[in-house]
Amino acid sequence: MKSQEVDLVVIGGGPAGLAAAIKARETGVEDIIVIERAEQLGGLLHQCIHNGFGLQYYKEDLTGPEYANRFIKKLKNLGIRYLLKTMVIDLSSDKKIMVVNPEEGLVHLHSKAVILAMGCRERTRGALAIPGTRPAGIFTAGTAQRFINVEGFIPGEEIVILGSGDIGMIMARRLCLEGAVVKAIVEILPYVGGLIRNEVQCVRDFNIPLFLEHTVTNIHGIDRVEAVTIAKIDKDRNPILGTEKKIKCDTLLLSVGLIPENELSLKADVKLDQVTGGPIVHETMETSIPGIFACGNVVHVHDIVDDVTLGGELAGVGAADYILGGGNPTKEKINIKAGEGIRYVVPQTISAQRDVNLYMRVLNPDRNVTVRVGEGLLKRNFPTVRPSEMLKITLPLSRLKTLDEGIKELVVTCKRE
Amino acid sequence: MHLDTDVAIIGGGVAGNSIARELSRYKIDTILIEKNAEVDFGVTKSTHSFIHAGLPEPGTPLLNKLVLEGNAMFDLLTSELDVPFMRIGKLLVVTNKNEVGILEKKKDEADAAGVPGVRIINSKELREMEPNLTREAVAALFTPTTGLVSPWELVIALSENAMENKVEFMLDAKVTGISVPRDNIFVIETTRGAVTSKFLINAAGLFADDIAKMVGENNFSMVPLKQERSILDERITNLVNHLVRSPITGDFVSPTKKELGAKKSNFIIGYTSEKIEDKNDVSTSREGFQRTFNFAKRMFPTFSPKDVIISFAGLVPLNTRTNDYIIEASKKVPGFINVVLGGSGVGASPAMAKLVVKILANCGLGLVPKKEFNPCRKGIPNFRELQNDQKEALIARDPRYAHTVCRCETVTEGEIVEAIRRGARTVDGIKFRTKAGMGRCQGGFCSPRVTQILARELGVPATEITKRGGNSRLLLFKSKEKLKNRGEGENQNEISRG
Repeated sequence: MKSQEVDLVVIGGGPAGLAAAIKARETGVEDIIVIERAEQLGGLLHQCIHNGFGLQYYKEDLTGPEYANRFIKKLKNLGIRYLLKTMVIDLSSDKKIMVVNPEEGLVHLHSKAVILAMGCRERTRGALAIPGTRPAGIFTAGTAQRFINVEGFIPGEEIVILGSGDIGMIMARRLCLEGAVVKAIVEILPYVGGLIRNEVQCVRDFNIPLFLEHTVTNIHGIDRVEAVTIAKIDKDRNPILGTEKKIKCDTLLLSVGLIPENELSLKADVKLDQVTGGPIVHETMETSIPGIFACGNVVHVHDIVDDVTLGGELAGVGAADYILGGGNPTKEKINIKAGEGIRYVVPQTISAQRDVNLYMRVLNPDRNVTVRVGEGLLKRNFPTVRPSEMLKITLPLSRLKTLDEGIKELVVTCKRE
Repeated sequence: MHLDTDVAIIGGGVAGNSIARELSRYKIDTILIEKNAEVDFGVTKSTHSFIHAGLPEPGTPLLNKLVLEGNAMFDLLTSELDVPFMRIGKLLVVTNKNEVGILEKKKDEADAAGVPGVRIINSKELREMEPNLTREAVAALFTPTTGLVSPWELVIALSENAMENKVEFMLDAKVTGISVPRDNIFVIETTRGAVTSKFLINAAGLFADDIAKMVGENNFSMVPLKQERSILDERITNLVNHLVRSPITGDFVSPTKKELGAKKSNFIIGYTSEKIEDKNDVSTSREGFQRTFNFAKRMFPTFSPKDVIISFAGLVPLNTRTNDYIIEASKKVPGFINVVLGGSGVGASPAMAKLVVKILANCGLGLVPKKEFNPCRKGIPNFRELQNDQKEALIARDPRYAHTVCRCETVTEGEIVEAIRRGARTVDGIKFRTKAGMGRCQGGFCSPRVTQILARELGVPATEITKRGGNSRLLLFKSKEKLKNRGEGENQNEISRG
């Protein structure tokens, strides 16, 4: 079996991994390998042929493949090595990695640092326990997106979409443009699960019926989906008897959330956050295992790729500092804790030795709220907040310097004041 | 197609395939006729994986006998067929001191029937055997010989072995009529042509009544008994070591395995509901979820419904004539043999197959052993479970084994191509033969790739690939195909929408 020493292995060649590898090289790491399981770099961006990428990072409106290609070109120009059609089959906490691909077979990599950038996967029907039969014609929105945008097939002509996540709404528009009829988007919450801009551009503009506080209570059809039953739900999310509506359709798409894909992280004993489903990370994106970093949707599910890129760059710098012995390893870490009104905050620890961006989600939609970090360290007012829109708050070093010596924890809260 | 055969078997589930393989030991022309696109697309695939020890139930002497005999045959059978099998043992657990009497009565019956090793376990020993079990558990009846097998792996292995030993398989062939021009001649009309045979075995499971009626036998009907089950993410480890079951309700929690003996184990929870009317009703229900989740939570307090990756329902075919199996030669129609199993059918199947061959012999079928019969079959190499040197050897032989297609279960292109070579024609067929799509993402990532490989290997467009045959096509149109009609005014409403 082949065996190689390498300074940095980046697992995942999507936007997070690409940004991390590029930044690590720019920070001085020479010996880098990016490992990608698909046939090309770029991750899921290749199937996201709609626009809206790069508005923040490039101040330009790009499609997914355009955004990806900028990074792929840069990676290639920098001469960073990458392996395609390559699966990581094992990862240990001492950073030994086993990969397999058709060109080289099994290969052992011993690396000084690892960046986890495996992304996320979609929640499935099983995770929701939707009753009914199990016919053909039930797809997650992302799988349908791949079929339509990459493989060139339309799954069906009469579509119901359960869940109003971003991919679901974007697929609703896509299917309309392909000549299918989207008969309903069904959302269990009283508000849309994805970004407002997608609600407007993909749902409202196409006059797609949106059923809020509804869920799918039955799936009909033996061979192929023939209909679904939807019903209104009560405050405990149980269907209300008598509100059922049967909608004839041949396809049910599920857009009911994304789950960070951390099976490899667990193999390396990386500690996960129960709320985000991703590794607990320091401000450098280092996980609980020294020298193993994580970035992008493997840490927590992001709304927009621009933030994924920024997180990747942080991890790239963090890993470079770890490998080159630069940086300043944090001795005393301060825990960032989600308090009232906040679901989670990433990173979970900071050093208070530099500026840091806190990414967070609120628990509930609200108006005119104040988000506070620590007792009186920092506050920001927001006219509206929604769980689906990630908040980003920068803690400047100038404020962090005012913290008392020996402080162990900062609580972040969101409430009306 | 017009095939003259000695024996025709209708039904490609565990009954039909067990009989087919048993007959292939002899110089007999056998054909198996199955209405679905592949074998094991009927009720067998979603039955319990348990090979019961044979604790006798009242009123079912034939079932009791075949399950007990069958259990003892499983070690040899599964080693010949390269199918994982493990004796996990069963614990019938009670949580109330008053219920211990139920266990004692069952133990006496088991001893009388000759079920090996059955004993009562006290709460202390129970805790050692099942550390996560609720403290409420007071005692259990332990049957060490209860085994676990994947029903579809068994059926696929039986069919491959039967095929290698020259049994003909006619798939996608629904029987539409049977005529009996004279004794011991059956003309079986199917959607793919006619077959003639001297003997006809009705192993059509839930639809055995329809077949029996075609030859004029009207003395039973079939009704399905529904079982609902959920499978947990394999991340959940060490939840339960044995089949843990309530002797009163039959609800259970158990390890299950896509590859038994593998490092990782999945867990399955489930219960059996009422008899239902619709033979195609494999729908799951909110009540079913609640009931299984509640039982699992009560027995194993660390269980969380969040760990469920898939739920499904299976149907047990029951006949209306008796509570027992019906395995007998028809008195009315010479050469026609009903083989109607029911609960525990997989466990009973090896003993059942021997019995059916004996019945055929009594009806006049000559049994001349075939020297070239090969009892052994090798499964598709399972890349994920191999040692590193074995993995390298496999890749050296065929680099497609180094291309991972299903990332949850680490299934390679090599395995998928081999499954197609062995007869997989559908996405579900690939899933049952290789586990691709069985993991936590449930085919989200690999189904486009599996569809592509199927289309490529079978030489058909991807729009013809089905989930499980029939009208279960996955992709109804090519992109832009729906737009072609627009100018002709068919979809004008949608145009204004766009």
